[in-house]
Amino acid sequence: MPVFKLCLKIFKKNIPVMMIYFGLFIAVSIMMITMSTPTDQTGFSVSKARVAFFSEENTPLVEGLKTSLAENADFIDIEDDQEILQDSLYYRKINYVLRIPQNFTADFMTGADPKVIKTSIPGSTSNVYVDLKIESYLNTARMYLDLIPGISQEKIKSQVLSDMAEETEVEMLRRDSSGSETGLMQYFFNYLAYTFMFIIIMGVSVIMLVFNDPIIKQRNSCSPFSTTKINLQIFLSILLFTFFSWIVLAGLSLTFAIDEIPNFNTKYYVLNSLIFALTSSALSYLIASLVKGREAMIAIANVVTLGSSFISGVFIPQDLLSEGVLKIASFLPTYWFVRGNRMISMLMEKSGPVFDEMVSSMLIQLGFAFGFFILTMIVSKKKRSV
Amino acid sequence: MIVEVKNLVKRYGDLVAVDDLDLEVMEGEIFGLLGPNGSGKTTAINCILSLLKFDNGEIKVFGKPMSPEAYDIKKDIGIVMQEVAVFNELTVYENIDYFCGLYITDKSERKKLVEEAIAFVGLGDFKKFYPKKLSGGLLRRLNIACGISHKPKLIILDEPTVAVDPQSRNKILEGIVELNKNGATVIYTSHYMEEVEQICSRIMILDNGKVIATGTKEELKEMISLGEKITLQVFEMEDTHMNFFKTMENAVSVDYDGKFLVMKFQKGNSNLEQVLDYVKSHKINFGKIHTEMPTLNDVFLEITGKELRD
Ligand SMILES: Nc1ncnc2c1ncn2[C@@H]1O[C@H](COP(=O)(O)OP(=O)(O)OP(=O)(O)O)[C@@H](O)[C@H]1O
Ligand SMILES: [Mg+2]
Repeated sequence: MPVFKLCLKIFKKNIPVMMIYFGLFIAVSIMMITMSTPTDQTGFSVSKARVAFFSEENTPLVEGLKTSLAENADFIDIEDDQEILQDSLYYRKINYVLRIPQNFTADFMTGADPKVIKTSIPGSTSNVYVDLKIESYLNTARMYLDLIPGISQEKIKSQVLSDMAEETEVEMLRRDSSGSETGLMQYFFNYLAYTFMFIIIMGVSVIMLVFNDPIIKQRNSCSPFSTTKINLQIFLSILLFTFFSWIVLAGLSLTFAIDEIPNFNTKYYVLNSLIFALTSSALSYLIASLVKGREAMIAIANVVTLGSSFISGVFIPQDLLSEGVLKIASFLPTYWFVRGNRMISMLMEKSGPVFDEMVSSMLIQLGFAFGFFILTMIVSKKKRSV
Repeated sequence: MIVEVKNLVKRYGDLVAVDDLDLEVMEGEIFGLLGPNGSGKTTAINCILSLLKFDNGEIKVFGKPMSPEAYDIKKDIGIVMQEVAVFNELTVYENIDYFCGLYITDKSERKKLVEEAIAFVGLGDFKKFYPKKLSGGLLRRLNIACGISHKPKLIILDEPTVAVDPQSRNKILEGIVELNKNGATVIYTSHYMEEVEQICSRIMILDNGKVIATGTKEELKEMISLGEKITLQVFEMEDTHMNFFKTMENAVSVDYDGKFLVMKFQKGNSNLEQVLDYVKSHKINFGKIHTEMPTLNDVFLEITGKELRD
């Protein structure tokens, strides 16, 4: 495997440069540990969702739902007009439209599983809390309905509301009990986005710069080694490099947040970072196929990683960024990585809306990876035909 | 037949870089492609190697049609490209090992071949050097070693001596002759006629993408009417003497610059004899005298009306 071996040698030659970034990562991380604990990232300091609430019926069950939501939602008075609602969603006047259809209560009380109708802006954290609350309210209500045949709506409402109040307390307690170091893990994994993307872009481009050199390309195609074989070996080496960087960096992150490793969500942090590694790899491929020259490459690597890290909430929590910025950021995989970490930090169990949000954040990252890959194919096809 | 090219045409837009080229290279030859800059040598080579798509023509190597996927043909070709193609990240040894590895999978065999190639180009003291640390001539030698280490049956060298000092150049030329003696067929392109004359058994002269002559160097020189050139060092030249030389039977041109008398003759016998007889009988004082047979430059000059090198 001459090409594979060559790639590894090229990586090896570039280790000093890479070490600088690894070093930077460690330095910043140590600074974070000694200086501050990012407590503001824990707990429920989330802004409320702006919900347009429409109900086609007015029953105690629905009233109870609305009451339970009040903690996480500001109800916005708005005309029930499709166009107005769309506009309001677009301009973020509201970020959630919740509609209770007719016969919802009746269906629910007979044991059916009617659905509320919702329209929401994707990617807003506060919406997840609304989803959580709705689910929790209805699930608890159903439990009472199943347990106590013939129970009245009023009864259900009061029971569920008091249960939920307690539950929240417990949840708060649980979160508080894990202490101030909660969020450290999230912090380090978020920061990984920056180091990781940079190192992978540099690594991949170092290889691609060598092999995309027209003279080397010509020389290689004089040999009996097919282009497919060469590309495959390059690909393999990049995969190995990605994996290696991931082990080192994820390992460092884990080490820095060593107290949190026993937590239930650790494995999801690791998984999310692996997915992000793959996505960064694919992005690097694309960049390397577009950019020529080492200096340009370093510049691009900086702009892309720093830029995307800033607006995606790597350095500043996403909650503090304006929605306009987040909207732009949502076109970047980094945003979904950070969001995935955010979801993981709230994760309590292997199901439910938070879990679903986490999974979708991961899937979206994989979608990006796939998209980058396809784009690279198109770009290199175009180049070849010139 | 090792290489067979028929009616090769390659255009770059309106420019015809190779214009209806026919070429045959026999086993065991050192075949020279001679032509000035831009005459289409590299383009022709790249077409033969299937690195370029061409507009017309047919190319066979080892009797089989050449194509980008003809890996069984490519495995027996060694290529030394005009531009040095090596990896700056690899040492001399590693570079040769990489390129050899594209052809030879067996590790121990490769080790032997790489060592041989290093010895062959005389880079033994530089094995651990990176290309950036090599002089131009050494770099060219590395480029050659990378191309020939796998002992190919056909070696194509595209101006391997550009920007190389005379000493290194001679070493390279001797090496090529040795490779040929060991059984390789060689295609050698250059715009230095001396090199081509020195090592090639057959020569094709290209100009503006067209073949203007093919043959052994003797055959090529036969093609032109020019015979020998006689240079005589004299310190004085009277007009009567000058007139005698000018009216000699085969004289083409006679020039005197106050120091040297340069006389060009058409083919014919005893030109030198006549000149010497005249000089002696008229007691003309002269220093050195020497005669030269026509060079490929003269061939080029006579056919195209311009110098091979400007
Ligand atoms: N990629 C290209 N696009 C357009 N024209 C080209 C291209 N490559 C070569 N040419 C032109 O084709 C002609 C032949 O070029 P080529 O490189 O084959 O000449 P050469 O004999 O190898 O010259 P040299 O001795 O300088 O290497 C030249 O006029 C050159 O400008
Ligand atoms: Mg050339």
